[in-house]
Amino acid sequence: MATSMRSKREGSIRRTNLLTNVGTYVVLILVVAIALFPIYWMVVTSLKLPREIYRMPSLWPDVFTSRNYRSLIQEEDFLVNIKNSFIVATCVTSISLVISSFAAYSLVRFRYRFKGLVGRIILFAYLTPTSLLFIPLSILIAKLNLGNSLQGLILLYLTFSLPLSTWLLQGYFRGVPRELEEQAMVDGSTRLGALFRILLPLSAPGLAAVAVFTFTGAWNELLLALILISSESKRTVPLGINYLITSDVLPWGTLMAGAVISSLPMMLLYFVAQRFMVQGMTSGSVKG
Amino acid sequence: MTMNNRITRRRVLGTSVAGAAAVGLAGSRLQESLAARKAPSHIQASGKVTYWGGLIFSDEANNLLSETITKWGEDNGVETEVVMINQNETNQKVSAAVESGTMPDALDMGLDLLLLLSSQKEILAPLDDLYTKIGDAQGGWYESMAASTDTTAIAGGRTGIPFGASGNLILRRNDALSAAGFTAAPATWEEMVTQAKAVQAPPLYGLGLALSNVGDGNVQMSVLQSYGGRIADDEGKTVTIKSDATRTYLQWVKDAWDAGIFPPGNTTWDGAGDNQAYLAGQAAFIANTGSVAIAARNDDPELFEATAYSPLPAGPNGIISPTNPNVRAISAKSANMDAAKALVEFLSNPEFMAAYFNVAIYGPVLKNQATFPAYNGENLILAGLLDLVSNGTPPGFPDKYNTAYGDFSANFIVPKMVQRVVIDGYDFDKAMDEAQTQGQAIYDKYK
Amino acid sequence: MAHNPTIPERRSRMTFSRRQALWGYLLALPAILLVLGLVAYPFFYAIYISFTSRVVGNPGEWIGLDNFRYLKTSPSFTRSIRNTIVLVLVTDVAKLGIGLGLALLVNQNIKGRGIFRSFIMLPWAMPGFVAFLTWRVLYQPIGGGINLVLTQTGIHPEVIDWLGQKSTAMPAVIIATVWRGFPFWFISFLAALQSVKPDLYEAARVDGANGWRRFWSVTWPAIRPVVLVTTLLSSIWTANSFENIYLLTQGGPSDATMVFPVLAYFGMQTQRLGEAAAVSVAMVPVLAILVIVVTSLMQEED
Repeated sequence: MATSMRSKREGSIRRTNLLTNVGTYVVLILVVAIALFPIYWMVVTSLKLPREIYRMPSLWPDVFTSRNYRSLIQEEDFLVNIKNSFIVATCVTSISLVISSFAAYSLVRFRYRFKGLVGRIILFAYLTPTSLLFIPLSILIAKLNLGNSLQGLILLYLTFSLPLSTWLLQGYFRGVPRELEEQAMVDGSTRLGALFRILLPLSAPGLAAVAVFTFTGAWNELLLALILISSESKRTVPLGINYLITSDVLPWGTLMAGAVISSLPMMLLYFVAQRFMVQGMTSGSVKG
Repeated sequence: MTMNNRITRRRVLGTSVAGAAAVGLAGSRLQESLAARKAPSHIQASGKVTYWGGLIFSDEANNLLSETITKWGEDNGVETEVVMINQNETNQKVSAAVESGTMPDALDMGLDLLLLLSSQKEILAPLDDLYTKIGDAQGGWYESMAASTDTTAIAGGRTGIPFGASGNLILRRNDALSAAGFTAAPATWEEMVTQAKAVQAPPLYGLGLALSNVGDGNVQMSVLQSYGGRIADDEGKTVTIKSDATRTYLQWVKDAWDAGIFPPGNTTWDGAGDNQAYLAGQAAFIANTGSVAIAARNDDPELFEATAYSPLPAGPNGIISPTNPNVRAISAKSANMDAAKALVEFLSNPEFMAAYFNVAIYGPVLKNQATFPAYNGENLILAGLLDLVSNGTPPGFPDKYNTAYGDFSANFIVPKMVQRVVIDGYDFDKAMDEAQTQGQAIYDKYK
Repeated sequence: MAHNPTIPERRSRMTFSRRQALWGYLLALPAILLVLGLVAYPFFYAIYISFTSRVVGNPGEWIGLDNFRYLKTSPSFTRSIRNTIVLVLVTDVAKLGIGLGLALLVNQNIKGRGIFRSFIMLPWAMPGFVAFLTWRVLYQPIGGGINLVLTQTGIHPEVIDWLGQKSTAMPAVIIATVWRGFPFWFISFLAALQSVKPDLYEAARVDGANGWRRFWSVTWPAIRPVVLVTTLLSSIWTANSFENIYLLTQGGPSDATMVFPVLAYFGMQTQRLGEAAAVSVAMVPVLAILVIVVTSLMQEED
């Protein structure tokens, strides 16, 4: 009796699984297709000649051309922009991860009087838009003598990424049970040791997510870079693309080519990061 | 109007090729002769001389400016740095630079920024002697340039040296219009609507004028003024936009809108909207400074050949066609005042400007410049700009172009008024009342 | 360990909590320093100058609420309030639904999930202004990608002027904003879902709970903090977002999509910093309340 009931249940589970799987694929493919239509448009436009872009709008190029890409890389030194963005984004991400891990750990695992205030103050960084803040920020940067430098940019981006990282990491840290660290400390570990050996590894998905946000934010930011950077050699990717627009006629071909080239490193980043988002990192840790 | 010569592709391409060649092949010759114009030997520059140049649509012009300044620096033992800036961001960059004390030594700008900066103390240096010197050496400044850049009242002296004039021309699809029987340019706005209706055949729309919150939308201010409407009184203090003349103008817009001759989306076009419509073959008439012609010349010769140019048409009160000056200015706090002045003076010399005008989209500012090869009539856009400088109206005319007027324009009150009528369905009085109240609130700030 | 409730233990308890407090402050210090150092000044600067007549190059003088009074006279002001609320609410709900739904889907062990996850992030892979310029072109009435697809597939044979009509302008902006923003929600939820132990699901399934029940009793409590933070941050960013509106409609047609950041931008173009600051500062109280409420919800568990 029990065997047939179990096999019946297993059978229905298997059937449900198949249905769920097919349904999942269908939905996913549909969503990705719709979400990617603008991307498709960008790629297709980057391969068209200007005349075709304006006069013969269509979903497929009539004539394929690589001149937009060639012009970007050869004439506009776009690869230099990519290099600069890479430097800035990597520095911002790594420093931000360290500082915000500490801060989030503090806000989640410790008790002290002004904890609530501390947490909220760092969020107030976002309350006024950069379209207003850029003036006092440029005054600050000038006083620190960091004008027209990648270091100045890193500093500014760091400040704006910290609130996000700290608060998000708080959310992820809360998902890891305290008992694990407390167990480790009973076994003789220090607080910092517990942070590094227990909490951080178990929050790897959260760290990966925060790394993605910080890197993307630093990679794509335009206004502050525009104000801060004057030299062509120090331009980041958004600046490089922005300076393709010289007047009131937009060079769509090169613009889209720039967008495509700049998204390649990002795609690589996302692929690597999502590999940390594997379920079951917390399983098997606390039994009984 | 001498604009009815049928343009031939060969002729204009020939000019442009010659122009480019003049820059390229003879570039070294140019630079050599420019090098002969050494700066006075007492030029001492402590550190770098920075120049911020505004990017225009012509890459050749931008490069020419950049290279010439750098070469000047080399020839005179002055270290220079040229930074080319997008015109959309000049305002922000300059604001940040003024506030943080990092202004360049010299820069170029348009009229709005010149007025804004000149009305505050100690931002731009007075350049009256330089202005007079250059004017005297080259036949005198055009009246429109002299009048519009006169900052003596607000800054105690002239702070901008004009170098190029820009303004809107009407570009029209000569092929479609001739086929409909119209070979002459429209002389009035009413005529333009008639012609637009005749060639209207979606996807080709007749009247590619912007009604959105961008600079192109402010062409409507000129239309309103050509109908006799006024933004403010002669003192430039009381807003007088609500009037019968404005009502007539609004009727013109509404009739055009109801006839469906505006391309869809023109109430939210960005600065490139009208250009894109024209380049895509979706507009028969647009108002443009010349960049579209260059784009067509480079990428779409067929369209280029089919395009004809004319000045803005007249309203019942005549033609209102603003000629906008572009000026070079020097920061009052510059550590290299002498070198900066020498650079600005150098940049106005005839050899450089002749070569520059060949590849840029500006009209002349000094009377002698009318004899440059750029303005010999072959290039119809440049010919149109020459005409604009000689016969166009000062910016804001008949209104007084003070900072209040600039603020009024920056808030796009007139395009908004039109949007209220055509999108929200306000009756004329309600729309005019709102523009009047908001306009007066703006003007009151500057009392 | 023998517990003897004598003075030595009380002393060690005090030292323990003070040490805890010290560690707490120390760990948070770098973050506080950076933020206070670089953001506090601009933040309070912005609030201060909104009460002055400051323009670029001239500090101006204290004028109290004059900037705010001028702001209120602008017909765009009231429309901005309504538009901001609509924009934030609708995009939040949409991004929450899409982000969570997708995260749940790709959290499963299906083949090719790595590819799906990376591709779903694509709307984020380019600078914001490029994304919105592209959407601008896509929305074009004639020759724009969306209208091309609609007319060629027969779904809607007539061309829709997405950005130029009052009725479709805000929805068009919302769609583009959601497209650009949902990867943020997606990835933060995906990471949060990892923290849920699969044994808990198994236990719930054995207890007879169906999918919906399992979600509410197992998944939701675990991801709730992340949902709260994501909603808070995204709402603030959307309220302050400038590029999406400005590049698509400049606040038009006829203020149908006007929001405070665009209003502030027009103020900046005339270099009247006091006015521009007043626009931004007008929003601060509302956003501040949002911050306090949501952060309290999150921190109550401690």
